[in-house]
Amino acid sequence: MDASFLDLLMAQQEEVTEAEGGGGIWVVADVVNGAVAPVTLEAIGAARNLAGALGAYVYAVLLGDGVSDLAATLYQAGADGVRVADHPALASFAVEPYLEVLVDLFQAEGPEVILFGATPQGQELAPRVAQRLGGGLIEHATAMTLDEATRTVQAAVPIYGGEYFEIVACPQARPQVLTVEPGAFPAPFMDPYRKGEPKSIEVAPVEPRVRVLGPAGDFTPPSVPLAQAPVIVAAGRQAGDFGLVEKLAAALGGRVAGDRGARDAGWIGPEQIIDVRGVTVAPKVYVAVGIRGDTFHNAAIENSRFILAIHPDPTAPIFRVADLCIEADPREVLPALLQALGA
Amino acid sequence: MRIIVILGRVLDPRGIVVNPRAGRIFVNREEYILQPADRCALEAALRIKEAVGAEVVALPRTLLPDDDVLRQALATGADRAVYIAGQPAALPDDGLMARVLLAAIERLGGADLILTGATTMDTGQGQLGPRLAEALGWPQIVGAWTAEVADGRVRAVRQDGGSFVWVEAPLPAVVTFVPGALKPRYPDGRRLINIYKGVGEIAAALERWEAKDLVAPEALTPMLERRGQDFPPERERGVRLSGTPEEMARAAADALRARLPR
Ligand SMILES: Cc1cc2nc3c(=O)[nH]c(=O)nc-3n(C[C@@H](O)[C@H](O)[C@H](O)COP(=O)(O)OP(=O)(O)OC[C@H]3O[C@@H](n4cnc5c(N)ncnc54)[C@H](O)[C@@H]3O)c2cc1C
Ligand SMILES: Nc1ncnc2c1ncn2[C@@H]1O[C@H](COP(=O)(O)O)[C@@H](O)[C@H]1O
Repeated sequence: MDASFLDLLMAQQEEVTEAEGGGGIWVVADVVNGAVAPVTLEAIGAARNLAGALGAYVYAVLLGDGVSDLAATLYQAGADGVRVADHPALASFAVEPYLEVLVDLFQAEGPEVILFGATPQGQELAPRVAQRLGGGLIEHATAMTLDEATRTVQAAVPIYGGEYFEIVACPQARPQVLTVEPGAFPAPFMDPYRKGEPKSIEVAPVEPRVRVLGPAGDFTPPSVPLAQAPVIVAAGRQAGDFGLVEKLAAALGGRVAGDRGARDAGWIGPEQIIDVRGVTVAPKVYVAVGIRGDTFHNAAIENSRFILAIHPDPTAPIFRVADLCIEADPREVLPALLQALGA
Repeated sequence: MRIIVILGRVLDPRGIVVNPRAGRIFVNREEYILQPADRCALEAALRIKEAVGAEVVALPRTLLPDDDVLRQALATGADRAVYIAGQPAALPDDGLMARVLLAAIERLGGADLILTGATTMDTGQGQLGPRLAEALGWPQIVGAWTAEVADGRVRAVRQDGGSFVWVEAPLPAVVTFVPGALKPRYPDGRRLINIYKGVGEIAAALERWEAKDLVAPEALTPMLERRGQDFPPERERGVRLSGTPEEMARAAADALRARLPR
């Protein structure tokens, strides 16, 4: 696709805008360490699916300093047009400078749908863009469908971190702004032959109002109670080497715990016993290493999202509540598991 | 100095069971708790009040059917609370509430600092604070772990990738807190009893306003509309791995990586 063809495409887009009263689906890119973040490519892929049904074009917006070359990636992922705001004032993310560029652009282009990544940047910008433009905002979308009659996006959003999903729409407010959960949508096919000429945006530098003072070396976050820890690695009598259990917890960014057997072995304190008479947990990931799993223990972990159990006895009751079971001696499995995790 | 802290409630997840097969949510124990992130915002407000002196005013983050979270805020140390009566939306709707709260803040005569949670435990919404900041034209610090006020500025610790940084904004400003950021204090038992009995000054600190007196009727139309529910696939329990320890470890590592929180 050469520049003149793109111009033609843009000219057609203008017509579409007038006929449909919409200005396309826009994706605001996240740039991390000089590269387009995967969530941006996933959002472009999701936007393409919506665009097919809507009869709209997909545009991507790049902001940063020295980011113009990244436009090629956005075209390859499926953008029909790319706008680039390349300016030293945009070198690192700050709300006001980024916001002013986006608001000026969107006020001129009248987008129908705007997608951000549900990233720190997207979560700060999306509500401000929505508020300024009078738009609705749906956060953390994990799936999107279209109500074609009203050109309304219907998005699934996780409730309680994904226990279930509400399907939500903003039928009245326009534009429809959404943040897209990283990893929820498939990465698009990258077409190396897809090319385009990005248009650059004039940037009038704006001072950020929040100033970064420097590293907070004096700050340590409060520790999360075991009952609320998102990842727990728990040991039982058959764990073998508790040092490896601690290493696994560190590799997974999790907390160490255990059953009564682990307390009797002197590996954990009484406040670390997972048991309905002790601490009841519901982490995203629970790893039971050498835990046989009696009724009290299993009842205390049944609301975990994912349970991996490692135990040498195939008849151990822990295997009845586990999602993934390894019938083997933890002493053989843990070193291999640590290696497979790159720890 | 006036600090407005915006507080919501959430159905305690320990009382609900989600059954993907039945496609239903069973509320076995209908008990509400303060949104954990909002609770940290309240704690931050009280710490700033203790450090530099401030009037702490609690406002609700949704049109709640009752004023329990506000009574709890008063019992915990807030000076004043305003219950806003109105038709609760089918879904917590930050876009709608931003309009109502802006009107309420104006009626209160403004503020120097607005504190609230950066995200809700149930719907995961984090747009209320930034929407208010935008409408008021104030700076925002999103996802604070702690905050303090000095010389007309608010300083806060925020996460930046894997580390923490101090950031600073001029007042007035909006600061939102991550859940678990601060160890919150408990409400004072005596104050709580007095509030519920309607005894003393503390009981008089709870006012009641009507949403329909604050904004035009069309402003109370929700922005979000429910179109249904969806459930994750049912868990396939008891999948047994086979092979050598190395092979099983690799399969387990892949499964763990896919499920670790980001
Ligand atoms: C985060 C979340 C929490 C929910 N919590 C409840 C709940 O506590 N009880 C319930 O029956 N259904 C709840 N639902 C809705 C869902 O369980 C059902 O679709 C709903 O109960 C519909 O039944 P109903 O019309 O008879 O409820 P209603 O008669 O409308 O309500 C029954 C009771 O549940 C409360 N309730 C309803 N919806 C919510 C909500 N979104 N958030 C908080 N409280 C709500 C009401 O205050 C009332 O006390 C919740 C949905 C979500 C997304
Ligand atoms: N209070 C409850 N908590 C969790 N699951 C339940 C509850 N009540 C019923 N179920 C399950 O939900 C499914 C449908 O139940 P029912 O609607 O009663 O036919 C069945 O699998 C029940 O076992």
